[in-house]
Amino acid sequence: MALGRSNKKPFNPPKLQLTSMMDMFTIILIFLLFSFSNNPEQMSLDGQMKLPESTSKLDYKDSIRLVLTKDELKLDGKVVATIKGDEVIGLDKLYDALKNYRDVADSLKQDVKIVERKEHILFLCDKDHSFKVVNTIIKTAGKAGYPNFQFGVVEMK
Amino acid sequence: MALKRKRREQVGDDELELVPVMNMFLVLIPFLLLSASFYHIKAINTSVPVLSSTSSKASKVPAKSDAKVTVIVELKEKSVVLTATCDELSYNDLVKLETEIAVKNPDAYPMEDLSQQLMFIKDRYPKSDTLILVPTQHVVYGTIIQTMDTARSKNNAELFPNVVLSGKVG
Repeated sequence: MALGRSNKKPFNPPKLQLTSMMDMFTIILIFLLFSFSNNPEQMSLDGQMKLPESTSKLDYKDSIRLVLTKDELKLDGKVVATIKGDEVIGLDKLYDALKNYRDVADSLKQDVKIVERKEHILFLCDKDHSFKVVNTIIKTAGKAGYPNFQFGVVEMK
Repeated sequence: MALKRKRREQVGDDELELVPVMNMFLVLIPFLLLSASFYHIKAINTSVPVLSSTSSKASKVPAKSDAKVTVIVELKEKSVVLTATCDELSYNDLVKLETEIAVKNPDAYPMEDLSQQLMFIKDRYPKSDTLILVPTQHVVYGTIIQTMDTARSKNNAELFPNVVLSGKVG
């Protein structure tokens, strides 16, 4: 009779202690949400591109984006020229595109009298490019009617 | 008696159901991490020289300390050359501001010496605010940005906030 009696206790499934994990997740979530609210507009950069560091505290403004990676020049996301060594191939395409922007902006100014226009170029450039390459590009932009630039840099900590 | 036992059991079972909240967090956090940026992009204002259609008007000669000097910094391979230009100052005054700083290490330009010299010019002509930066072809973009930082300020004191980037003419 004693053998037949079961000694097993009723199975109670173990309960996970989720409170500490919840705390951690809440902190991470708040941190991430805050970092979003600080700088809502983000830009995606080429993974291989290294921007120079600077002490500048100035925020960039919405403008025409010219991105010079190791081997390409992109205007608002579209490739307009390629880089081979210190040579920029296809600058006329850049000039035409910028001239087109300028003409549109000028006509808008005359027609609608828009005060705020994209008057400058946000230039993001890999820190290892030589001045020869940079100069060729900014001179072309200057000739097309955009002599003012904002150089994009990474904030120095 | 039976009622009492039942009530005690009910009190013991009161626990927050955290699993759905955890599920939501597990979806939200990877999404936010993927789209988060851990570096902050800032900007430096600059311009390239352009042809001006307006001619400079003749004005009264101001006091020397009121003169606005435009500093020209040439980043060469083996030296940094500082010169100055100003309509209101004599040639002799401008020559006194010229300096050449030797570059001992080609990977690191002498920014501290450059900063000292710029502070000297700013002290003498406090209304000056423009610097023209003329790098040679081989100078890398990172060095140009470093020089712009040096030219703009030193220890939170403003030096030459308007930096114009120019290629060497001729």
